Amino acid sequence: MPTISFFQKDLEDLLGRTAPPEQLESWLPLVKGELKDVTQATGEIRVELQDSNRPDLWSVEGIARQIRIKLQEAPPAYPFLHTKTKPKRRILVAEGLEQVRPYVAACTATGYTVTEESLAQLIQAQEKLADLYGHKRKTVSIGLYRLPSIHFPVTYGLVKPTEARFTPLGFSEKLTLQEILTVHSKGMEYGSILANQPLLPLLWDTEGQILSFPPIINSQDIGQVHAGDSALLVEVTGTDMRMVLLTLNIFATNLADRGAVIDPIEVQYPYDTGWGKSIRTPCDISTVHKIPLKAIESALGLPIDAELVQQTLRAYGYEVKASRHTLAVRLPHYRSDLMHPVDVAEDVAISRGYDSFVPVMPAQFTVGSLSALEMTSDYIREHMIGQGFQEIFSNILLSHEELVERMRLPADEHVVEVDNVMSQSFSCLRSWIVPSLLRVETASPRAFYPHRLFEIGEVAIPDSSRELGSRTAIRLGIVIAHPHANFSEVHTCLDVLMFYLVKDYELEPLSHGSFLDGRAGTILSQGQPVGLIGELHPEVLEKWGISVPISVVELDVDWLCGDGS
Amino acid sequence: MQTTAVYDSLHPLEINLLAAFSQSADKPVSDSSLQELSQLEPSQVSMALGWLQAKQLVSIHSEIVTAWVGLTEVGHRYVADGSPPEWIIRTCKQGAGEGRSFTVKELQNLNAFPPTDLSRAFGLLKKEGAIALGAGGRIEPTETPSPTVEKLRALLHELKKNRQELLSFSPEQQTLLRQYAVKRGSAQEPFRVEERIHREYTLTETGKAVAERCHAGAVEEVSQLTSDMLKDGSWRNKRFRKYTITLRPPRVAPGRRHPYREFLDLVKHKLVGMGFQEMRGPLVETEFWNMDALFMPQFHPARAIHDVYFVKTPTHAETIAEPFLSQVAETHETGGATGSSGWGYRYDKERARRLILRSQGTAVSARTLASNPLIPGKYFSMARCFRYDQVDATHATDFFQIEGIVLGEEINFRTLLGLLTIFAKEMAQAQESKFFPAYFPFTEPSVELHVRHPKLGWMELGGAGLFRPEVTQPLGVTVPVIAWGLGLDRMAMVALGIHDIRELFSVDLEKVRTLRGRFA
Repeated sequence: MPTISFFQKDLEDLLGRTAPPEQLESWLPLVKGELKDVTQATGEIRVELQDSNRPDLWSVEGIARQIRIKLQEAPPAYPFLHTKTKPKRRILVAEGLEQVRPYVAACTATGYTVTEESLAQLIQAQEKLADLYGHKRKTVSIGLYRLPSIHFPVTYGLVKPTEARFTPLGFSEKLTLQEILTVHSKGMEYGSILANQPLLPLLWDTEGQILSFPPIINSQDIGQVHAGDSALLVEVTGTDMRMVLLTLNIFATNLADRGAVIDPIEVQYPYDTGWGKSIRTPCDISTVHKIPLKAIESALGLPIDAELVQQTLRAYGYEVKASRHTLAVRLPHYRSDLMHPVDVAEDVAISRGYDSFVPVMPAQFTVGSLSALEMTSDYIREHMIGQGFQEIFSNILLSHEELVERMRLPADEHVVEVDNVMSQSFSCLRSWIVPSLLRVETASPRAFYPHRLFEIGEVAIPDSSRELGSRTAIRLGIVIAHPHANFSEVHTCLDVLMFYLVKDYELEPLSHGSFLDGRAGTILSQGQPVGLIGELHPEVLEKWGISVPISVVELDVDWLCGDGS
Repeated sequence: MQTTAVYDSLHPLEINLLAAFSQSADKPVSDSSLQELSQLEPSQVSMALGWLQAKQLVSIHSEIVTAWVGLTEVGHRYVADGSPPEWIIRTCKQGAGEGRSFTVKELQNLNAFPPTDLSRAFGLLKKEGAIALGAGGRIEPTETPSPTVEKLRALLHELKKNRQELLSFSPEQQTLLRQYAVKRGSAQEPFRVEERIHREYTLTETGKAVAERCHAGAVEEVSQLTSDMLKDGSWRNKRFRKYTITLRPPRVAPGRRHPYREFLDLVKHKLVGMGFQEMRGPLVETEFWNMDALFMPQFHPARAIHDVYFVKTPTHAETIAEPFLSQVAETHETGGATGSSGWGYRYDKERARRLILRSQGTAVSARTLASNPLIPGKYFSMARCFRYDQVDATHATDFFQIEGIVLGEEINFRTLLGLLTIFAKEMAQAQESKFFPAYFPFTEPSVELHVRHPKLGWMELGGAGLFRPEVTQPLGVTVPVIAWGLGLDRMAMVALGIHDIRELFSVDLEKVRTLRGRFA
């Protein structure tokens, strides 16, 4: 989740009090924030915010707001949500956008002169919201403009890619939308959002000036805010109405917290939005939730006093009305993360402070145990160690080459492969243990011999009869490597192991690419194959770059765990 | 020096020799008899005598120089073929019989002996009258024998078998022997006189004490106790050589648990001790169990292609068990019967079947919730997980997550904190812990556990929370459930002295053999 940076001075201005880093750190639990670092010389502070459902906290304004509410024990009023006067300005949405990028919301912010620092914060919030909350601008993107240049009403419409031309940010000449998608860096980065659209979204004013090409790029002339500007237009477009409205609310509130006067804009749609066809934005999107006090009590493990919980929640920004058994709660307009009463329970706990809860030891009796597989594995591990073997513990993603080609298996040997490969070296789940142990052999010719290695671990066996197309099995792999390693030595190990596992077995000659012919066998138990034994084929050793003979065993532990004898 | 200390420093050869001295009952002993008594090689005897003298355990009792005389190669040839005077007389007599005579020069030309030997022989024979020189320098043998030649022949025959002490001969013979003995400048002589130094040794007072100790202890010193010694009791007469124990022993590679697995074993047994039952799940999972069942919406940013490994073939599981699929789908869309508003999007059942490599251990917990878990119940898993990450010092290709759940009527936020307090003590020996609000998509409230580790100081030990009802209820669980996860790798790495997570799964055998640490 996002890490944001800001200056201590800016935070202090927003809080209206001093906030040295150690003081800030004591407040950060309120915002699920973690202090990443502080640059003493400049006062720059970096904080990571954890909660992906709280985009309102991804800015210094949001962090300051949550702390301020706690300090004042009550939420501030935001008059722009309740103004009765009809907005002066309108945005008109054209037909067809419901198929492309249906929603837009906007407001103006005046009376606050943007500084270098507040501009940097605005842009940071814009980027974090569009990138993380807006899925890289796909569901939400944000535009900021210089208000005085714009003549309302503004139209949010669709145009042909070659029809409209304007000068995008960072350019000095006019480009068509088509050209922006192909030559502008933002066009190339975000163009896929509009892939296969015959018509593209565009914002223009009543004089025909183009504001921006959402969600790609703003106009160089109107869509670039500078320090010193004191009248802004904020606009949000997207594919999810609630998210668009919430994002605008967050932005409007951030600007209001800095002293701007927010004036709503009326957006008129030709289609329904779920919020009606004509919407004044910003608007209060939250609804009242009735929550039984008992739900909070049982979640927190405490008797809850209605009055007290009302105060606690108000000190966290909620609007609350408490009755004897029920709380009627309403989130502030910049939040939209109340899905279940447990969400309120957590906010009660955060507002009170986690440290104020006295831990209670769980008292109900339960029986601890290991799975039969784990116990069998541990028994075998102990036995192999007794036989003088070094246990190996491997990463289990290997390359196809290691699992198949180097083992001289047929090229069509099926293993579980990764589709979105990061590195060929880690592209397959191992299907047996021996290749993992050969990785060790290849890397360790200088470790003194003999090498007696084993590993017990998970492998994935392709199996079309299974629901998941494969099954996870536990295998034992044994490798003996030294200048005189042979079949007989590893056979003895197997034989002793089987004796103490009280398992009968027999060997059946096996012809297998990995092994020298006539020196390999299938390990059979009651006629069922349960493993392999043999001397590795010299070509296998060559492919692995190993220059000592190696004899191996691979054994199915799931079978050993069962009651087959 | 103390007797004992001297005794302890003795080499087996020295002990052997001291024993030989003891056998001769304190009488002076020659090196040859020491050799006989000790059964050692002459070089060993002289080496050990040198050491014992240096330690002042043995001193030289007497030193007698004796001269011995024997034949040289030349001497043996004289015995076989005659000496130069004999040859001269024989040759001249034979020539006379055939009517020939020789001059000195002519005899020399026969090259039987070196000219100097012949000259000396002529001088001797002429002086003793055995030959006379006739006209023209021709040699004429007389009938008078040469006494010297006779004496030399007798000596040659006497010495042809054994060398003898020079003093055993008469003074006249001694003079002759020395005259015809090898000397510097005349190598071609029949006799050789050698001087031999005969020493006799005796023990010093300290030597006697030490020898007594040797005798009192084990007569023979050995390095290895054998079965035979035990069977016949002969070990009683042996002295076992003391070793230089300060040297490093030879290295071996023992059978051994993998150090990281050893750590996980400890964690596993602690959890069992706390009443947790182990649960397991598949490496290849569906998005359903890995994420949907955990109420992570299908549009959640962490579900993108850059976080999870997708399986190539088959791409999808055949089915997802009902009623879980429908109940989870409904919960995502509308909240279903859980009292939640849900995420309010259209749930994609096709996507739920998409196969991935398990990305979080909580998938195992989800499967357990759907399998009629015990109530009250405690479960844990050590699940191998996979993330689409660039491998570096803090990211392995695959790694273990230690996770679990606790189900029961008594479960709430405070019992959650209680459980975490136990974890802090049991897993990190921490007496102090702190709880911070945290965010996980599937728990509410959520907690991050920080503990003060006795060595590492304040550190994050894990994350936990109460499963959202949107997780538990669609899977058929109606009691509250704690979900917890512990991050213990850092503790393991510090104990093992490593700084790179990849080394937990090192392929370097030398590293694996030498990695060590005490975790408990």
